[in-house]
Amino acid sequence: MAEHSTSHFPADTWVFPQSNQITDEVMERTTKKSKAFMALLLISLGLVSLGVIGFVIRLTGQGLSDYSAWGYYMAAFSFVFMITSSAPLVACAFRFTKSHWRRPLSRVAELFAIIGVFNILLFIPMVIALPSIANPDFVPGAHGELAARRAIWLGSSGVPIGAPGVWNILSLVGLAVTSLGILWLSLMPDLAQSKHKVNGFRKTLYSALSGRWYGTKRQWLLQKAGLCLLGGFYFMLVVFVHFVIVSDYAMSLIAGWKDSILPPLYTIIAFQNTLGLLLIILFVLRKWGGYGQYIGMSLFWSASKILLGLSLLWTYHLFAFFMTFWYGRLEVESSILRYLMFESYSVIFWTNVLFSFFIPFALMVWNPIRKTAWGPALAGLSALVGGFLFSIRIFVGSFNAGDLYALAYSKVPPPVFPDLWDVFMVLGIIGVPLLVYLISIKLLPAMSIWEIKEGAMYQKMGKLFRGEYLVVAKPE
Amino acid sequence: MQEGRILTATEVNRDLLRPILETPKWFWPAIAVCVVILLIAAVTVGYMINRGLGITNLNRPVVWGFFITNFVFWIGISHAGVMLSAILRLAKAEWRRPATRAAEVLTIFSLMTAMTMPIIHTGRPWRIMYWAFPYDFARGIWPNVRTPLIWDPSAILTYLTSSTLFVVLALVPDFAVLRDRTTGIPHQIYSLLSLGWQGNPRQWKLQIIAGVLLSALILPVFVSVHSIVSWDFGMAVAVKSWHSTIFAPYFVVGAVHSGVSAVAFVLILLRWAYGWQAYIRHEHIDALGRLLVVVATGWFYFFVMEVIFGIYGREADEIAVRALQFTIWPISAWTVIFVVTTYFIPVALWLSRSARRNLWIMSIACISVNIGMWLERFLIIVPGLANRQVFTFTWNMYSPSIPEIIIVTATFALVTMLMLLFSRVFPLVPLYDIKEGDILKTEVQIGRRVVPATYRED
Repeated sequence: MAEHSTSHFPADTWVFPQSNQITDEVMERTTKKSKAFMALLLISLGLVSLGVIGFVIRLTGQGLSDYSAWGYYMAAFSFVFMITSSAPLVACAFRFTKSHWRRPLSRVAELFAIIGVFNILLFIPMVIALPSIANPDFVPGAHGELAARRAIWLGSSGVPIGAPGVWNILSLVGLAVTSLGILWLSLMPDLAQSKHKVNGFRKTLYSALSGRWYGTKRQWLLQKAGLCLLGGFYFMLVVFVHFVIVSDYAMSLIAGWKDSILPPLYTIIAFQNTLGLLLIILFVLRKWGGYGQYIGMSLFWSASKILLGLSLLWTYHLFAFFMTFWYGRLEVESSILRYLMFESYSVIFWTNVLFSFFIPFALMVWNPIRKTAWGPALAGLSALVGGFLFSIRIFVGSFNAGDLYALAYSKVPPPVFPDLWDVFMVLGIIGVPLLVYLISIKLLPAMSIWEIKEGAMYQKMGKLFRGEYLVVAKPE
Repeated sequence: MQEGRILTATEVNRDLLRPILETPKWFWPAIAVCVVILLIAAVTVGYMINRGLGITNLNRPVVWGFFITNFVFWIGISHAGVMLSAILRLAKAEWRRPATRAAEVLTIFSLMTAMTMPIIHTGRPWRIMYWAFPYDFARGIWPNVRTPLIWDPSAILTYLTSSTLFVVLALVPDFAVLRDRTTGIPHQIYSLLSLGWQGNPRQWKLQIIAGVLLSALILPVFVSVHSIVSWDFGMAVAVKSWHSTIFAPYFVVGAVHSGVSAVAFVLILLRWAYGWQAYIRHEHIDALGRLLVVVATGWFYFFVMEVIFGIYGREADEIAVRALQFTIWPISAWTVIFVVTTYFIPVALWLSRSARRNLWIMSIACISVNIGMWLERFLIIVPGLANRQVFTFTWNMYSPSIPEIIIVTATFALVTMLMLLFSRVFPLVPLYDIKEGDILKTEVQIGRRVVPATYRED
């Protein structure tokens, strides 16, 4: 590591790993299982077991025909989904912008693609539980009742075949397949090199996944073009699927709620939560995972600015929503404000704003905290709590909003609190990605070896006048 | 390899100060054309004030037309300054350097031009005093501070003030260079403007800190301006298609889209007019093109959301407006032209690296965006007001009158003239920023390739 004492940054702001040792070191850490890791694995298994118990009891008790009993399940699923679906995008986005600091973050983010498969399984009960778009009890001429509830799927010729369930599932499958494609393409060079350093099932797996990768110029060009194309496609897909999920499972279940800013609001909080979680993971890997020499402070410093930007952006969108409804003074909109923000779910709303905006903002505008590794991670944790509360407010609120085929509310419904089985299901749904991620991180290298090696070539310390500064190369 | 060679400070001073120290041949004829257009517009405005708004084709219910469309358009263009200058400065994007000053100046002049539009639109410009003072002291009729029509001038004036401060602050080192190269009255003026700048480390430090702080402080103002402009529409519940929660970010992103496109076009013009090929290089236009792909796609997403959730409610009144926008001739044709020119043509071009580096193609793409964005504002305002809803006796349509067309055309001449006059007295490409960029440039040898690199502090 180069010395740069003239800088006002800590010595480990920029790290320059030794290229020839990276593969060995990363594989050593991948195959090593510490006690803390095993404890975490057991905890996640425990959480999943609780979730299974809660799910079975809820299923046998209320069944899937009463969708209002599944509000907390959907809230927890949404929380997990918005993070895990956005994570591979974070890797792609910073690869597009050629940000060098992203390099240790890429694989940590891409590994979430594996959880995408489990998202589909977790989502199936919700597809079954979602009430039909057409009103089964509609009486022509009935005042205040709709023949079909408002939904994004209604066209001039009625509801498209299979909508919304089949299309929702297809959307999630599309996400999972694309993100796995991104992960596989990104893994190929690393696995081709690492397969000689491992034994047993890992060797078989690595050999199979790395295919005939020899690292020729043509292969590299194809790999980069593939990552670029899949990344672009994934970006559009993520935004689309977020729009579909939040429209079908939140907005269209509350009578009279027509809110064009909700999909971007949902997508932004998803990105904010994802970055928050990635910062936490990177902090843990740096502090306790033995990856200190790969994860420099510059990553936290740079990512924290983006976290701050996302927090501000989310608040701006929330304010734009509030302002339009509040100023408009329409009865239907006022009741939605009272329901989701100021009466029924007011405590959750204000706590959501505190954790999603005020705490991350306060931490991230304060340079002494932002320049640490724990500061951005703490802000990320706060954003995660805020995101979870946002999901509860939006989805539990929507699943318990009463007559979804009405034109508007007659009165604001009361809040719904979780029972024991709801708590079990929430813990279980959070446990699933934790368990899968822990396994993934020991199965596959947690650092993108080729990207870190590439970064080591593009960054160095250089003298300029009397000081020593970072030199960053940016190839086209 | 670096694109373009590293220039010496002498070369930078000589090239970038040439438009100030020597007058190009085309300069005064260009100014004369602008003045003629402005004189015609001034006569038209005078005639309109004398005869009343009746000479326009504004009517009931279409009470907002070309003037308000143009107001929103110029407010949109003004968003380029902060987008390029403040955000890219905070993001430490090296390619921002030649573009910042032109963007900031365009911000100021487009804001000033935008503000003339509502004033002209009142028909009786002296009535604007009622925005600030009581309509009738005796009866205590005060302006309604709760209306977005009051928030608007407040936000715009705040933005204009902070943008001007931003430009002046960045100009101080360049004023000092001009001070040292002029004599007589210009020397005295530049001495006054340069505020005793010596270029010592303390002054540089203060200038950089002030720039960064202003960049951060101006961002909320930047976002608020077009949000509030959007709320002129969004808060109006009675006009179907306007009361949409997405309007604020939709307008802001649209503004950035049109503003950055306008800056790209202005840079191409400057490169051509002043021979600044060594400063405004293809790589800069290329980078703007790449940025615009992202901005345009963000804008398109908001546009789609706005339309989908317009239809989502299945309210007959709103569907009627959408039908007018998308299916009824000639508005539907304008809608197609708007979407194609704003998104599909430019983005298709910008996806190609060679197109982004072709200045003719870039010019066409940027003009296309601004034609489309102008139409966008028109298509938000007029179909909403045309009131093609339940009762046919309230229906009406709007097409601009000749005086409206003249006045709107003159706003383009006004901005052009102001930009030209500015370039005659102040450098439109910041000297110190270019010099700093050249100092920070370096190269890294990787294998057989030499890769361009930059010194960074973080």
